Amino acid sequence: MKSGTAVHTKELSKTDPRVKLIAAKMKKENYKPDALIEILHTAQNAYGYLPKEVLAYITKALHLPPSRVYSTVTFYHFFSLKSKGEHTCLVCTGTACYVKGAQAILNEIEKKLGLKAGQVSADDKLGVQVARCIGACGLAPAVVLDDEVQAKVSPDEIIKKINIKIGTV
Amino acid sequence: MNTIPVIINDKKLDVDPGKTILEVCRENDIEMLTMCHLKGVMDIGACRLCLVEVEGANKLMSACTTRVNANMIVRTATDKIKRYQRITTELFFAERNHVCSVCVANGKCELQQLGYKVELDHIRYPHLFPQCEVDTSHPWYVMDHNRCIMCTRCVRVCTEVEGAHNWDVMNRGHQVRIISDFNTPWGESITCTSCGKCLHACPTGAIWPKAIVQGQLEKKPEMLSELMEKRKMKL
Repeated sequence: MKSGTAVHTKELSKTDPRVKLIAAKMKKENYKPDALIEILHTAQNAYGYLPKEVLAYITKALHLPPSRVYSTVTFYHFFSLKSKGEHTCLVCTGTACYVKGAQAILNEIEKKLGLKAGQVSADDKLGVQVARCIGACGLAPAVVLDDEVQAKVSPDEIIKKINIKIGTV
Repeated sequence: MNTIPVIINDKKLDVDPGKTILEVCRENDIEMLTMCHLKGVMDIGACRLCLVEVEGANKLMSACTTRVNANMIVRTATDKIKRYQRITTELFFAERNHVCSVCVANGKCELQQLGYKVELDHIRYPHLFPQCEVDTSHPWYVMDHNRCIMCTRCVRVCTEVEGAHNWDVMNRGHQVRIISDFNTPWGESITCTSCGKCLHACPTGAIWPKAIVQGQLEKKPEMLSELMEKRKMKL
């Protein structure tokens, strides 16, 4: 291997609790390259996304080729290379929710907060996502706000709840 | 060694067990079209050109990844398979930006030869015309994603023959791209050994050495197969 240039952008702090979490997981998995996905899960849950320096750290510890790690991360939708935001608002656009007005909710979010599906606010406070179906069709239209399902919501209600979450009210 | 009987295109053949249908066909001068197959590296059955009909199977099987069984009845190049091969070839051309007249591999390109073999005269599908990058960051080589067909021969050669694993595949669906390291420019890769094996593995003009003009590319994919054969001999 040639001496590294591009891979190491930033050194990780060893005292960072998130780094400690990943290190513990890797040790538990015995640094097996096969355990890559489990370790990436831990990292994704700790950071909310996968920063490049974390990927570099895992790559080095597991003795994996960088391209292999990158291809795994980009293949699965669960993993994200960009921050999804401190709070997440997941709007279900499955058939039932769509009929009950999921689009109106998305339009209202765009109008009031200036965020389209898949975007994250400039201050990294809120990320808006869509899902095809969350399996809660009886609660349509459903929105998941930080892992909490909001049932039968109106556009106005959801904007209020988001504002409470991100602390602008 | 015991041989097993197989019937390919109504002809009975005695073959060694453990071989793939593709190997048997190639040994017996039965013409097979392939793109992702490269002798010496692992087969993945990605290009879907070597599809064959196997009696008793409810779907078409890729010859490169299916091993022969005793009394297997195989048919190659039936009307259905020829139709599918043509569709596959058309989709290859429609997916990226293939312009033979300005390509370094013009005349020596496996994709071009495939087009001639399936008698391609027009493409029935809308071209996607994706915006693809041309990576010229490496001091000696160029990677042109416009001409890549995602056969992943370069990936397998880099991993299995050179052992560097500079290349891999990112994303999925029609967003897939060949990447080096963390999607960093090829020239900044820390794993690439600049051996140039991917150049010879590439069936099209996607990877080529700099300072080569249109139609001047020389590729020797058989060199890689020979290399792997010689390694197995353990001299």
